Amino acid sequence: MDHPSLTSEKRPHWLAFGRELVWPRANLTLLLVLPTLLFLACFLVAPYVNMLVMSFRNPSTSNVFAPGYTVGNYTKALTDPYYLTVLGQTMLFGIVTTIVCLVLGYPVAYHLARTSSRWKGFLYVGILSPLLVGVVVRCYGWIILLANNGLINDALKKLGLIAGGLKLMYNPFGVGVGLVHVFLPFMILPLVSAIQSIDPTLEEAAQSLGATRTRIMRRIVIPLSLPGVQAGSILVFVLTISAYVIPILLGAFKIKIMPTLVIQLLIDAFLWPFGAALAFILAASGAAVVFLFLRLTGRLMKGVV
Amino acid sequence: MVQARLRARARRTVFLAVVAAVYGFLLLPLVIVILASFNAGELLTFPPKGFSLRWYVHFFNSQPFMDSLFFSLRLAAMTMVLATLFGTSAALYVVRFAGRWRDGLRLLIVAPLLLPEILTAIALLFFFYNIGLGKTVIALVAGHVLITLPFVFLAVSSVLYNFDTSLEEAARSLGADRFTTFRRITLPIIKPGVISGAMLAFIVSFDLFAVSLLLKGIGTVTLPIQLFDYVTWDFDPTAAAVSTVSIAITLFIVLLAERMVGLRSLRF
Repeated sequence: MDHPSLTSEKRPHWLAFGRELVWPRANLTLLLVLPTLLFLACFLVAPYVNMLVMSFRNPSTSNVFAPGYTVGNYTKALTDPYYLTVLGQTMLFGIVTTIVCLVLGYPVAYHLARTSSRWKGFLYVGILSPLLVGVVVRCYGWIILLANNGLINDALKKLGLIAGGLKLMYNPFGVGVGLVHVFLPFMILPLVSAIQSIDPTLEEAAQSLGATRTRIMRRIVIPLSLPGVQAGSILVFVLTISAYVIPILLGAFKIKIMPTLVIQLLIDAFLWPFGAALAFILAASGAAVVFLFLRLTGRLMKGVV
Repeated sequence: MVQARLRARARRTVFLAVVAAVYGFLLLPLVIVILASFNAGELLTFPPKGFSLRWYVHFFNSQPFMDSLFFSLRLAAMTMVLATLFGTSAALYVVRFAGRWRDGLRLLIVAPLLLPEILTAIALLFFFYNIGLGKTVIALVAGHVLITLPFVFLAVSSVLYNFDTSLEEAARSLGADRFTTFRRITLPIIKPGVISGAMLAFIVSFDLFAVSLLLKGIGTVTLPIQLFDYVTWDFDPTAAAVSTVSIAITLFIVLLAERMVGLRSLRF
């Protein structure tokens, strides 16, 4: 974004307090970014490097880790069927949540992208507002609704539709509802911008040439919105496999997935090296699924264009 | 022909119904929480039992909740100031002067947003424990600034990219020195980005969970953590009152920012 009319020596020096002061350009402007760089080096890069080292430390029963290094944490996690099951379950939750969000989010995104209603602003707020409310609050809302003596069961009983209570919470269904609710806006927003960037005259042209609505969606809108599908799906998937609050509040430790397991190991059992290894395995597995997904959809997108 | 048009209208109706249902799904829990906080009964029943403020009284009389509310507000304010200073100056550098380092720097600064928060929280827990600052306020502030910095950075850089630099050139050619140009031209133009970034930083910090959970110490429990602990064991509507107050605080911040700059400048 270099402005063409500005040569490098004429570019303004933001922190020079007078024109007479001629400071070497690089040194001065670098002061703008240096605090942030130092901050990130200390509190982002160093902690991640430290966590990587931690995952290779020897476990200890009396301290958080013992001297010496090992790959045992990784081999233990990758050979124990228990941890592999939990990992598989986590990925499954991620994939199912992503698909449900895509199916529910696509119509909403299409509507929002194409509507000329004067309520458009309000519709945006409707999608953004859940994002501005903390995840604990949103889960609590679902607890009121889904609990055994909650609002839905109460209403159904009083209307005489059911005799006993429906089990809506503390099972995969409840956790799924919470996950979809909390992460749906992250699917809708990228989809809206992808669909908005498709020229509406393409659809009009297809329609005037006699294509049905289904055919227009299948051959034009959906293929051209694939970048938005990619972005939204990756966001929802990554957020789901690292979700912690929702599985605990709506699953009550009965739903074992990686984030809750790792935090339990770290806080209750103090198994730091092993917990670090599990966290990295979760991140690597998530990255592998995202990579596979990109390869698959990339092929689809090439077939389109 | 008539049949085809009827079918098209039916399909349109079904489509709109699905869209409306999803909006309902998104907003339902928030509405329910607010309703429950004003409900007289122990449980929100169908139909509701009547209006009462007793759960708010319970909340305002609860020392742990009040402590964590004020701690959360202080932490969010501190985080907002620091993240805004870091994020704004970094955005100025990255957009204006970074040259060939621009993409790399941008990726590094946005990284906390791309990495799963829970992973960052675990990394920070180990790190602060190892350097002997575990469970201190410093650790908590650093963690919150780290997570919120990308929001300020993105908000300010999106304004900077649409910035007409000829305004600055004009000021300079008319004899303004660099500092005056910055104060009178650059700052007013990027102000909407700075304010909406600061607002986001406050809200995100106020609602942040994983980092606050793993780095909390005695006396440094934030409101979401306190609420989480409460809701894990107790479903009574005190939690609804707490939730409604925290929604109101968020709404107040959004409206404040809207009054100051208008949030149309906000881009994601």
